[in-house]
Amino acid sequence: MAAMSTEAAFTSSDEWVRVSPKLVTARRISLALTTLPVIAVVVVLFIIPGIVVAVPIAVSVVVVIAFVWSWWLIGRRVRSYAYSERSDDLLVSSGILFRRLVIVPYGRMQLVDVKAGPIDRALGVTTVQLHTAAATTDATIPGLEPDVAADLRDRLAQRGETRSAGL
Amino acid sequence: MSESSPDSPNQRLTSAIGDDLGLGIALPGSLLIDSNGHRKVHPISPLVHAVAVFPAMGGLAIALGVSGWASIIERLEALTFLAFLPPILNAIAAIALLALGLSIVVAAYQYLAWRALSFWIDDDGDLRIQSGVITRNLRRVQLSRIQAVDVTQPFAARLFSMAVVVVEVAGQSDSRVQLKFLTLADAREIRREVLARAAGLSGDTQEAPQEIVTTVPAKRLALSLILRLSTLGLLLATGLILAFSYLSEGWGGIAIAAVTGGVPLILVLSEFVRFYGFTVADSPDGLRLKYGLLRTESRTVPPGRVQAIDFVEPFLWRRPGWTRVRVTIAGVGTETTSSNNQQQETLLLPVATMAQAKDIVSRVLPDLDTSTLTWVHAPRRAWKRSWIQWSNLAAGWDHHTFAIRRGRITRHLCALPHARTQSVRWTQGPWERALNLASMHVDITPGPVTVSALHLDSEDARTLALTQADAARHGRRLDRSLHWADPVNCDGNSPSNEDR
Repeated sequence: MAAMSTEAAFTSSDEWVRVSPKLVTARRISLALTTLPVIAVVVVLFIIPGIVVAVPIAVSVVVVIAFVWSWWLIGRRVRSYAYSERSDDLLVSSGILFRRLVIVPYGRMQLVDVKAGPIDRALGVTTVQLHTAAATTDATIPGLEPDVAADLRDRLAQRGETRSAGL
Repeated sequence: MSESSPDSPNQRLTSAIGDDLGLGIALPGSLLIDSNGHRKVHPISPLVHAVAVFPAMGGLAIALGVSGWASIIERLEALTFLAFLPPILNAIAAIALLALGLSIVVAAYQYLAWRALSFWIDDDGDLRIQSGVITRNLRRVQLSRIQAVDVTQPFAARLFSMAVVVVEVAGQSDSRVQLKFLTLADAREIRREVLARAAGLSGDTQEAPQEIVTTVPAKRLALSLILRLSTLGLLLATGLILAFSYLSEGWGGIAIAAVTGGVPLILVLSEFVRFYGFTVADSPDGLRLKYGLLRTESRTVPPGRVQAIDFVEPFLWRRPGWTRVRVTIAGVGTETTSSNNQQQETLLLPVATMAQAKDIVSRVLPDLDTSTLTWVHAPRRAWKRSWIQWSNLAAGWDHHTFAIRRGRITRHLCALPHARTQSVRWTQGPWERALNLASMHVDITPGPVTVSALHLDSEDARTLALTQADAARHGRRLDRSLHWADPVNCDGNSPSNEDR
């Protein structure tokens, strides 16, 4: 059941591209970085006198469970990202618990963002985000190799131009 | 339509819709032209801005008095240089003096602003506005991107028979241009010219004749605002609290009753004042809406700029058969400020019978017909996910239209032409997945209408999402919404690439 992904059930005929596994590393590094202050708090809880020892122990158990669970979830979530360039639209699918598939017609794209944070850049992953006139369109493809992302952006921009329409 | 037709409504209302609602001084003078050949707003404008200070100060004074900032009042009463007046008059005079001082500052600033402000139609036929006292600002409004041109009369402007021209432009931010203030005749003249150009006609084209389609009777408006569960619920609560306070003689309940009774009263009153005399007229420029008791607003909704509509039927409106029509118009409602106003500005009709509503909608979206759609309903098991609204969840379509139904207590029927689809989403939450359900959403430009077909059978939602993506593409090919009055574009073949 876990292996059945959104897009496979959707249209098997389309060619789906998955994102780079480097994204897993990038996201796990940021997870570790965001956990650091939490660990600091837990340590402080242990040091402060007058607190029943059970409290910091309970907190650390929760933190460890949350960390392990997020660590595992990152792997699955990254594997769930996939996109497919069809002749007239782009499909983006993602999510494990909350699954979704976004269909963006090329003619409706207003702009294509290419973004990469410091960790992403160090590891060589890039995010491509599509915007339409609708604020609710959420078509984000994270974890692309920089040159793949640049190629994708150029292709999308070119297709968008030839098929563009007004509002 | 029974209530909208006294003897000869058309003559009476036609004169009413463009009427000057000024309360007194009508000033002569027309558009000034500066040395560059650019147009200026009326020179009285700084004064109008200054006068607008007084109602605000009055409101502030009342708020201060009511909210028990007695110490401020006392201090004002004790002002020595007005000591010859009785104390309360002393305070009033002090506030009036303050307002006067403030209005002089405002007038001075607005005079500079007036000197800096000019506007003209450039060589490309676009509207340009130059403004700014400290930072010079030159804006260019692409006419092909204009969503609506409205003439409004704020209260202070009505005193001088002045008006504001509001131009709504499609865009992400700051998409509204206001020209303050012009005589009503000039304002209408500018609206005529801009609309004619935006429609692809020459600037000299005469304003299209308008025909009153419908009006909302004051009685129906008032009744419809009261007949809402939230209003009635709060009023009922107020009654109970008052009765309980009376019986128990615990007068603390009075304060709560003031809130539960006051809030719905204020809401109902403010909406009533805002939508009083709601009139819809049809003209080739689009639908003209006019409404307001104190502050008169008139809006023009160009055909083809409407992205989606929503028929809202609150529970208690079902017996009289009423509905409210909300619309999403591209470029309207994207501002970040005054979110409360946006929601109201995107109303096409505050209350109407279903037949009236359909008639109005057919004028902005001529091919939209929700009565002949093929519907797919949420399956029975959807009650486990949405145990109230499940029986009214459905999606419908034909070759031109996509529609959804949702809500059980307040029913919604949202519809849009396929061509207005921006993107399509298919989503499935964990609970939906367990029940083999899924939702399908059609994304449109920001506005009050959300087109989401919730909790359908997973397979149905999938098919719908893919079909909708194709339908949107076909719909767009036939789209001719830009330059809607331009005959060249009306053959349905030319793609609408004008705004590149």
